[in-house]
Amino acid sequence: MKKLLTSAGLLLGAGPLARAVNRFPRPDFESGYQYPEYSYAVPNEMLWDIIDVSVLLILLGIVTWALFKKRTRGPILAVSVVSVGYFGFFRGGCVCSIGSIQNIALAFVDPSYSLPIAVFLFFIIPIVFAFLFGRVFCAGVCPFGAVQDLVNVKNFRISRAVSGALSVIPWIYLAFALLYALTRTRFLICRFDPFIGIFRLGGDIGVISFGIVLLLMSIFTGRPFCRFLCPYGAILNVVSRASIFKVKITPKPCISCDLCHDSCPVDAIKAPYGNRTGETPTEGVKRIVIYMAVLPVLMLAGALILRWSSPDLARANSEVRLYEMVTEYEASFSDVMEPEVEAFYSQGRNLAELEASKDEVLKSFRLYSTLAGILIGLVVGLKLLEMSLKRGRKEYEIDYGHCVGCAKCFDYCPQNKILAKNE
Amino acid sequence: MKKDKDNEKLVDGSPIKRRDFFRKLGTVMAGAGVAAVGAGGAAKVKGNRKADLYWQIDHEKCIQCGRCETSCVMPVSAVRCMHANKVCGYCDLCGGYYRTNAKELNTAAENMLCPTGAISRKFVEEPYFEYTIDEALCNGCGKCVKGCSSFGNGSLYLQVRQELCLNCNECSIAKVCPSGAISRVSYESAYKFKDHA
Repeated sequence: MKKLLTSAGLLLGAGPLARAVNRFPRPDFESGYQYPEYSYAVPNEMLWDIIDVSVLLILLGIVTWALFKKRTRGPILAVSVVSVGYFGFFRGGCVCSIGSIQNIALAFVDPSYSLPIAVFLFFIIPIVFAFLFGRVFCAGVCPFGAVQDLVNVKNFRISRAVSGALSVIPWIYLAFALLYALTRTRFLICRFDPFIGIFRLGGDIGVISFGIVLLLMSIFTGRPFCRFLCPYGAILNVVSRASIFKVKITPKPCISCDLCHDSCPVDAIKAPYGNRTGETPTEGVKRIVIYMAVLPVLMLAGALILRWSSPDLARANSEVRLYEMVTEYEASFSDVMEPEVEAFYSQGRNLAELEASKDEVLKSFRLYSTLAGILIGLVVGLKLLEMSLKRGRKEYEIDYGHCVGCAKCFDYCPQNKILAKNE
Repeated sequence: MKKDKDNEKLVDGSPIKRRDFFRKLGTVMAGAGVAAVGAGGAAKVKGNRKADLYWQIDHEKCIQCGRCETSCVMPVSAVRCMHANKVCGYCDLCGGYYRTNAKELNTAAENMLCPTGAISRKFVEEPYFEYTIDEALCNGCGKCVKGCSSFGNGSLYLQVRQELCLNCNECSIAKVCPSGAISRVSYESAYKFKDHA
């Protein structure tokens, strides 16, 4: 009887929201019945963290060695296969460096959010490597880049104007991903991850189809996801432009044969350029001054447009949506109650409190969408400036922002062949 | 902006070339940025190693809407029904076992509530029956949980099974959960048990 009272007390003490009701008393068994014991496994997350980070470091090390010392693609190909197998299919593609941007951003603004150490390491280690050696992470360690690289057969070059315009998309994607992560609405990068469904052999059909389309595209042009979508690639792009050690196509003098230019899947090798546009220096200066003047205008426009549309953007947030549902229900009192509305009432919440929390969400949406708009305006403006800067080049040069270190150009360079023969 | 020809002439005599200077400046700035983000992030990590790692269902908030069954990224949801025997009333007429409109109280499929036949029962003594969930058959639809909470003690409840959960960065069930019952909990409280409260 005492037991019964304590168990009833536990249930009552569980809070006003407790749905469990002790309608029937706990049986008094006379046959000596024993309650079954269940044990549930909690996986050793710490061990997996250590294994994942070690694999990441080893693969990054192999790629760096292959690019700078060995100067061959073989090990990078092997790393790509291992990465797709391990990080992709075996570990299910989670947590990945691309998605970790959101956790890091959230950790910086929300003190209640606790950042797991593996997520932090997956974010910072590839960036440190990019700062030292360029985008070695993209080369084959990232399962998404690796899977696109493995299916790549032929490279049709995309025109400079189109690829320039498309390369702004990662930044826009990053701006929106940060906006929705910082307002604790959604992790957009995780939601619209095109390859994770393929790795897990199941998931949202729309996203998987998108992933398949990307894979089909990457047969004909190198890494469409990395170049025109990946927000982490955008960060690595900026960092690796300023990297300390830079990969070279050949240690010998360039003979301007154009072979490496054709081999590059991501169009990161720039051909020699005479800069004979027939343009006087003043015209060039005038254009750059105009773009510099346009830059703040673009930032302002981006800020205003996104701030103005922030109430609509905020409708993705669950609190805002719940507020809409509840007010709609209270206006109509229809027979069918959405599960959200049912849960709202069963938890004993009231409309005033919901409205306050909705207003809080709207406020943070106003702030962060303004900042996202500024970022988008800044990136578009800088892209215009970059594309209008015309510099002469005497030989083939690597664009270190876009080079993913796949090492395909090494095999194409005839100077490297001579080197190999002499050895 | 000078033409390239002039540019080369201009910088030839100087100790540090202009483009090199900008390049070094860029490297220093990038390095400072990476170091700042690294240090900031490391500070956020410190001290909460085991905090908030596991997705779990708060059964007090759960309203058994059935979305756990369909929204998990796994082909069969990582959410399964669990049974708190110490809360169970061991009733013969179980709201989680029989359908509400059952014609006869026997184990014929049309009288069973569970769509996959994952609940079995065993006679203990008059008038008590022990109920067991076969978790290999359970798909996390929550029909039995709804029946048990509506007519019984609420001893059946849904929970995320850690050996099945992929531990996604963002749980896709949590995002569609109407009552916000799914959240990350710490290592110590992995498995929010109903009978171990």
